[in-house]
Amino acid sequence: MGLFTDPPKLGHKVLKIFLKKDYLEEIEGDLEEVYHDNIELLGLKKAKRIYAWDVIKLIRPKLLKNLNWINKLDSIMMITNNIKIALRVFKRDKAYTFINLLGLSTGLAIALLIIQYVRFETSYEDYNTNADRVARITMDYLNGETVVDQDCETYAPLSPLIVDRINEAVGYTRAYNTGAETLQVGEKIFREMRIFGADSSFFDIMGYPLIQGDQRTIFRNPFEIVLTESMVYKYFDKPDVVGESIRFQGRQESASFKVVGVVEDSPPNTHLKFDFLISYASMEKAYNADNNSWSGNNTFAYILLQKPSDLATFQQRLIELNLELKKEERLEDENVIAQLISDIHLYSDKSFEPEKNGDAQSVFFLFCVALLVILIALVNYINLSTSKSLDRAKEVGIRKVMGSSLLALRTQFFTESFLINFFAVGLAIIFMIIGLDSFKNIASLPSSFTFIGDPQFWMLLGLVFFVSVFFAGIFPAFVLSGFSPIAVLKGKFGNSSAGSFMRKSLVVFQFAITGFLLVQTLTASEQIRYMRSLDNGFDKEQSIVLRTPSTAKKEEVKTFQNQLKQFPEIVNVSNTSCVPGLPSKEMSTTTGIKLSDATEDYYFNFYIYFMDEDFIPTLGLEVLAGNNFLPNSLNEKQVIVNEESIALWGIPTPEEAVGKTLDFWGERFTIKGVVKNFNQASAKSPHIAMVMLYNDGWGDYLVVKTDGGDVSENVRLVQEKFEAFYTNSPFNYFFLDERFDQNFRSEEQFKQVFGLLTGFAILIACLGLYGLSSFTIAKRVKEIGVRKVLGASVIQLIMLLSKDFMKLVGLSLIIALPVSYLIIDGWLDNYAVKIDISWWLFALPSVMMLLLSFLTVYVKTYRVAQSNPSGSLRDE
Amino acid sequence: MKKTKLGEFEELVLLTVIVLSQDAYGVEIKRELEDRLKERLSVGSIQSALKRMEEKGLLTSEFGEASNKRGGKRKRIYTATPYAHQVLAEIKDVRAGLWSSIQISGEGFKTI
Repeated sequence: MGLFTDPPKLGHKVLKIFLKKDYLEEIEGDLEEVYHDNIELLGLKKAKRIYAWDVIKLIRPKLLKNLNWINKLDSIMMITNNIKIALRVFKRDKAYTFINLLGLSTGLAIALLIIQYVRFETSYEDYNTNADRVARITMDYLNGETVVDQDCETYAPLSPLIVDRINEAVGYTRAYNTGAETLQVGEKIFREMRIFGADSSFFDIMGYPLIQGDQRTIFRNPFEIVLTESMVYKYFDKPDVVGESIRFQGRQESASFKVVGVVEDSPPNTHLKFDFLISYASMEKAYNADNNSWSGNNTFAYILLQKPSDLATFQQRLIELNLELKKEERLEDENVIAQLISDIHLYSDKSFEPEKNGDAQSVFFLFCVALLVILIALVNYINLSTSKSLDRAKEVGIRKVMGSSLLALRTQFFTESFLINFFAVGLAIIFMIIGLDSFKNIASLPSSFTFIGDPQFWMLLGLVFFVSVFFAGIFPAFVLSGFSPIAVLKGKFGNSSAGSFMRKSLVVFQFAITGFLLVQTLTASEQIRYMRSLDNGFDKEQSIVLRTPSTAKKEEVKTFQNQLKQFPEIVNVSNTSCVPGLPSKEMSTTTGIKLSDATEDYYFNFYIYFMDEDFIPTLGLEVLAGNNFLPNSLNEKQVIVNEESIALWGIPTPEEAVGKTLDFWGERFTIKGVVKNFNQASAKSPHIAMVMLYNDGWGDYLVVKTDGGDVSENVRLVQEKFEAFYTNSPFNYFFLDERFDQNFRSEEQFKQVFGLLTGFAILIACLGLYGLSSFTIAKRVKEIGVRKVLGASVIQLIMLLSKDFMKLVGLSLIIALPVSYLIIDGWLDNYAVKIDISWWLFALPSVMMLLLSFLTVYVKTYRVAQSNPSGSLRDE
Repeated sequence: MKKTKLGEFEELVLLTVIVLSQDAYGVEIKRELEDRLKERLSVGSIQSALKRMEEKGLLTSEFGEASNKRGGKRKRIYTATPYAHQVLAEIKDVRAGLWSSIQISGEGFKTI
């Protein structure tokens, strides 16, 4: 013989896993014998192959291990038993179960809501299957090497040129916002804002298939329009609208656009929302836009890349293209850059964004806080179940003596945590549904956004569930099953210092988080209050802003303006191209306005206001030097600038600026006056450089400053006069202060969501503290009885019992406050103007927490300290 | 009526066990059957038949000696129970009865 090659090791391992233990020796022996026979007869290679096949063929129901296991139903019996015992434990101590359930489910409900918010914020452009290969082209304005401004809008011929010269770019579409228009179909007249001139490729690249109309033939000609479904319902009485026409009042003898298609409404999670699209060719015809001009950049541009991985190469190619274009003198001090459209919502905050974008940082921040809230809820569970272990130590001891394995004990505790979590998830979903609407309101989620169809949401929910089962189960399972049965049964157990140390540190951890949340909430609301209270440089009160009809002629506007001024309720009326509080896209910008005698070139971005002589008094702007415009058209080639502008030009005082001349638009302008800076957006953003030109009657807005009378009465007066003056034009108005305050919306939102989280975190932490204190105090009832008999007063006893907990809360504050300081310091750095971090931002939360925790514990301590000592001493 | 169902392959294995008597363990049964049937059988097919019959009370078994060739693992020697002999006899009778009726009708055929 001599040929004793061992059979493959793998076979042995496989057999060991799936074969019944009783059969293992015999069958393995058989296999090995056959194997050795085959080596002699057929050779090693074939023998191995047959051996492998034989192993595989052993997978038969009769021989398998697990099936037998299931047949006996042992495990199922154990699980039902575990569940039964768990339910008994829950039932026996209802307060414990209630606190656990409430804590966990509110924690989870909060987490679910925040997860939805996070999902929505991160879901932008998901609807578009091309989203990973569509890049938006934007421009950086340079002054030397530094980027002074970023602009989302580009030159019209830029994107065709990019597709022409860069191989990775396979398609482009542009979107040119026309601004406000008055649209008319029959009797129906509305003012519309979300109208874009778009190329025919828009539908493919941006992911809007036509519901009506033929995509291949449309948008070749000017005066074609595509509308969304809800606009169909708004303007027409029938669903089929292709071939109908829509009039744009005031454009080219009331230009009429032919409806060539209908698309679905733009989803809430896209950065570019529109109601109407008109063919790009219309821009030249109806808007006098020069589609070949490199002088005005007014259009959004999107480039379709060949494949998603091309982005880096494409960006590289753009750098080269910038150099080429500068050589060709098409670009001056601008750089063209690209960003993926899916990055726009969270990561882009440039001027002329089509809408106000979100902020990745605060989304991430909120997500972390949601995790912290869950963590606090889990800590509650861990603490309560381990402190309850004192009650269950005997049970564990008996179980161990009766021969229960560690695994069985741990399974029991995991079953309990699984069940509690399971119920908690159920409750959490109910809580979440109850709170969903108000949460959507607070977080300004669109009501149409739903989580039901989102697989990622359910995956996250599953993940949160299992993580929480695991963490809530693991501590009790290991701490409780680790008791030594002899010690426990002898009654020596009780004050395991390790267990109580862990409990204490978890409480400290919980309250440290809560403390931090309180400090952050307080800081956020202080910061917002501060920013609101700042002098914005203008008077926003009592002002109604209305839009002039797009058909209005400038003499008419003047007449209407003067008509309004007659009324005693109306203090002043100004006609202007823009008002503070409107987004920067409502203004135009010009780069590189410079003093005529400037020696060096600089390319800062200046924002242009067109306004009449009433603007400065109506908004209460302060003229620092020089004069306001004169009435009527005596202001040719004169400008008023703000402080920020003269700072950019390097003029030290306003007085010196007056009379200096500026060169731009190929002409020379004289500075007539300097006004104090006022905030265009809000106090959170730095002041922008403004140059104001005289406008007589063709600004889009009328600012009507009223006296302090009844607001609705004043609005009605203005509306009456407007409708009498401009028949056939819709009356649109807003209040200046309201619109301006909307700039704080994201802060308000952040504050509210954060406040909500903090509130619940405090609630959950206090619940936990309450539970924990009841258990520990219950253990000391007898001690209290003895003390009382010996003459301790109620107050002394309350102090004695609360002391331990107050120490923990104090310790958590010592940890939380420095950490909070660092975090809020970083948070405040996001703001151009910010509050000083003062001591009371920390003192107030500290006092609040100490007081709250004292009250929480007091509920229990008071009752015990009050009780009749004979009651506690008599039993036994 | 028959209470015990015996598959065709099980019947063959059972008969082999009886034939081999003292040597009736997995590999030997496999070898014997392979010779007679002239086809390769897997260890699994023999083993699952053996285990099934053991459960039905047709076979008993005990460990035999180990050998080097088996990597030091013991054989399991199978023995048919009296019940098995009874079941086999019943099957044989049924088959014999069937065969005899075939011969009768076969002769009837020829006469036509």
